[in-house]
Amino acid sequence: MRINPQRFFNFCADHAALLRALGTHGAEFSEAEATHLIRANPGLGEELPETTWRRLREMQILVPTEPGSELFVTAEPVARLLNYLFNEANPATPEIIRGYVASLETAARQLARALDDEDVQRVHLAFEEISQTLHRIYGDLNETQTAILAEVTRYKTERSRVSVRDKYRRIVHWMERYVEPMIEIVRADGPLRAAFDEIEGLLRRTRDEALFNDHPALARNVRFLRLVGAHALRVFTQCRKEIQPLYESLRRSSFIAEGAARALEQLQVEGLSKWDKYLMGIAAWRYQNVPSDAAILATLRRIIEFPPEPPPILELKIEEEAPGALARLRWLESLPDLVGEKLPVSDLLEWLVRNFPERDTSDVLAGFSILVFHRNFNAIFTDRDPRTYNMADGEIKASPLTLISV
Amino acid sequence: MSTLPHLTSIFERLRRGYHLAPDDEPEFSKLRERFDEYAAYFAALGLILVRHEREFFYFEPENPETVPDTLPRIAVFSYIMIDYAANQGRPIEDFIFGQNFLVTALPHFTLDRYTALLRQVEVHNMSDLETLVLNHMQRIGWIKWLGDEEFKFLRPFHRVFSKCIELASQTPLPGEPVSANGQNPINGQS
Repeated sequence: MRINPQRFFNFCADHAALLRALGTHGAEFSEAEATHLIRANPGLGEELPETTWRRLREMQILVPTEPGSELFVTAEPVARLLNYLFNEANPATPEIIRGYVASLETAARQLARALDDEDVQRVHLAFEEISQTLHRIYGDLNETQTAILAEVTRYKTERSRVSVRDKYRRIVHWMERYVEPMIEIVRADGPLRAAFDEIEGLLRRTRDEALFNDHPALARNVRFLRLVGAHALRVFTQCRKEIQPLYESLRRSSFIAEGAARALEQLQVEGLSKWDKYLMGIAAWRYQNVPSDAAILATLRRIIEFPPEPPPILELKIEEEAPGALARLRWLESLPDLVGEKLPVSDLLEWLVRNFPERDTSDVLAGFSILVFHRNFNAIFTDRDPRTYNMADGEIKASPLTLISV
Repeated sequence: MSTLPHLTSIFERLRRGYHLAPDDEPEFSKLRERFDEYAAYFAALGLILVRHEREFFYFEPENPETVPDTLPRIAVFSYIMIDYAANQGRPIEDFIFGQNFLVTALPHFTLDRYTALLRQVEVHNMSDLETLVLNHMQRIGWIKWLGDEEFKFLRPFHRVFSKCIELASQTPLPGEPVSANGQNPINGQS
């Protein structure tokens, strides 16, 4: 026996406050730091700090981090005892639980081989290993639940000024590191359940093949298997339920904080000119060019009080002479009918000049063109000698053109 | 539609940028009951009536060619408030809505960084904060004065939270899933 239990527990009884401080500190100690803690948490007797420091090491409550080191940590068995005594728990990681599952699978294979070989001794050993592993799983599950609930409580009651974004990161860590992976392991179709089912089958086979005579122990283990399986799922489902609202709340707060910080940072870096996207618009609808009530009333009054007047009368009269352009147009349109009665006309231009001597050169040529290209007539160019045609404003020299009907 | 109650008072308040929330009875209750009818009525006038997910109402603003001075002031004030609240470690909405505030106890001039940011929007002291920012926030229904120095935030301040979430959604936080369109699913959560 390395340490006398009575001396150990007597020392613990005299230095409970110090032990708690050591457990809370958690990290490595230098001698100076340990002495400071000792002075801050004096024991019941009148022991000198140097003596307390020496006894802490003698009883292996504090052990060096490595041989010859000047730094010390609380010994692991003592730390576990302190956690147990002060109801402080460390969560089991998913890797630890997976290790247990692997251990159970190995023990199951050993048990299966021992049953095949009908080796009672190996059956006993495998049974013992399975039983111990189940108890460790159960203990670790409870400790994990305690740890998670303590963490949730700490979040809710913590008064220290930890920013919401830091809190959110911590809660995400708990969710991602412990709760969600654990649920994956312990759920009804997960690896833990599969290992438990296999072991339960093997335990039944052990009983049926009468290779293990302690039937009550067998029955207890089967019951415990079921208990641990259901308990594991319940523990982590409960943990998720505890942590989820906190997670949601912190997630939203964290997003809000992130957005505000980003907006302020942008203002700081870029200035106000490039900050429009960070503004929240506010409606501001103003009336423009809208008549006032007084103006509307005045207008209505003017309408109502407007004296009736007869409608204006338009004076219409017929012009005595047709406009020149209209008369010219009418003359041009009358030409086909006039010439049609005289066909064939051996000299069209001569006909025009003779019948309309008042017309000038422009009118005569316009009429000539209309008749030459009219669809009811054919124009025949002749090779007779050119002659001179006299009009009101000049003369034209040309060979005669004959016009006949189509 | 011509029988919509309190139409004039609702329109007159909303067109000035006011946000109608539970403190604004009886208009608020009528808007809740007959939101679709009011929305259709205002839509015919080219105005979009918005019902925020946290249950308050406002007219969707148009994009003005020139930004009024008050908008950046309100934004800077609000973002600083949130930044400060985030550092207190409590959920931000609890912090903002769970207490009344004294103007003299506001954190806006406690840090040089905050002071410099406020200077950019021409807010130099507590008096400016009160006259240029808080009084305007009261006019749009975001805060309510409870005394000369004391005020509380009203529900429409959620517009700031929505804006923050919109801004933060552009880059997800650790552990935060992002949907295919890049929008964070928290946006729009009630």
